[in-house]
Amino acid sequence: MASKTLDSTFAALADPTRREILVRLASGEASVKELAEPFQMSLPGVSKHLKVLERAGLISRGRVAQSRPCRLEARPLKEAADWVERYRRFWEDSFDRLDDYLQEMQREGEGGDGR
Amino acid sequence: MATGGDPLHEELVVTRVFDAPRGLVFRAWTEPERVRRWWGPEGFTMPYCDIDLRPGGIFLRCMRSPGGQEFWVTGVFREIVAPERLVFTDSFADAEGNVVPPARYGVGPGMPLERLVTVTFEEHAGSTKVTLRHAGLPSGADRDLVRHGWASGLESLAGYLAEAA
Repeated sequence: MASKTLDSTFAALADPTRREILVRLASGEASVKELAEPFQMSLPGVSKHLKVLERAGLISRGRVAQSRPCRLEARPLKEAADWVERYRRFWEDSFDRLDDYLQEMQREGEGGDGR
Repeated sequence: MATGGDPLHEELVVTRVFDAPRGLVFRAWTEPERVRRWWGPEGFTMPYCDIDLRPGGIFLRCMRSPGGQEFWVTGVFREIVAPERLVFTDSFADAEGNVVPPARYGVGPGMPLERLVTVTFEEHAGSTKVTLRHAGLPSGADRDLVRHGWASGLESLAGYLAEAA
């Protein structure tokens, strides 16, 4: 069910550390150790965040090497971001019309209350 | 990207300065007969608009696309500070005002069930700056936890990803 996936995506994104991890992974795979360094966080601490991201389908982990490098999975994030763009267009379009309508209101003298 | 600053802490923010006094702009946002004149993309009409303008009050609107598809939208006013600020939830609905999943309208899968819209109106020398913030509210127990954080940086991340792909 798409909405269930989305809830876990949003929950995973709610944390700033996890967002930073995703940005880091956008520039390439990284091991847990490499991800832990910039946050001055323990390996178990980072692993906990990675588990949340993995459950949300936002990252995948390599199976081969002992370090199990983390990789970004772009699709769920793009789906979540889609509605933001849709709404931006919706509001920009509406604001264009509001602009025209406000001019019309003022020409018709409905704006004279000065509030 | 519409706004500057820290790309990881942005949500959807749309700003516009209107050449009209604030009281007038606020009325255009809150009086049904005025709302239906502009709300929605070009070519859309609003055959139904009911607004109970008080905290906890409910609105119900129907937008009709140029092709004749109807979109019912409802929400609850969380905060009303005339003529400075409006906070309301925003969800898809049926004609009776029941909240329905966005998928019912063929929207998704990226759309949360309920969104939170915060609009501020600032007057400067006869013009009014409107700032609109739009955030998603996932359902479920972790909603409060998520409310402030999730929208942050989605667009920026999507941008990163597009470049990285």
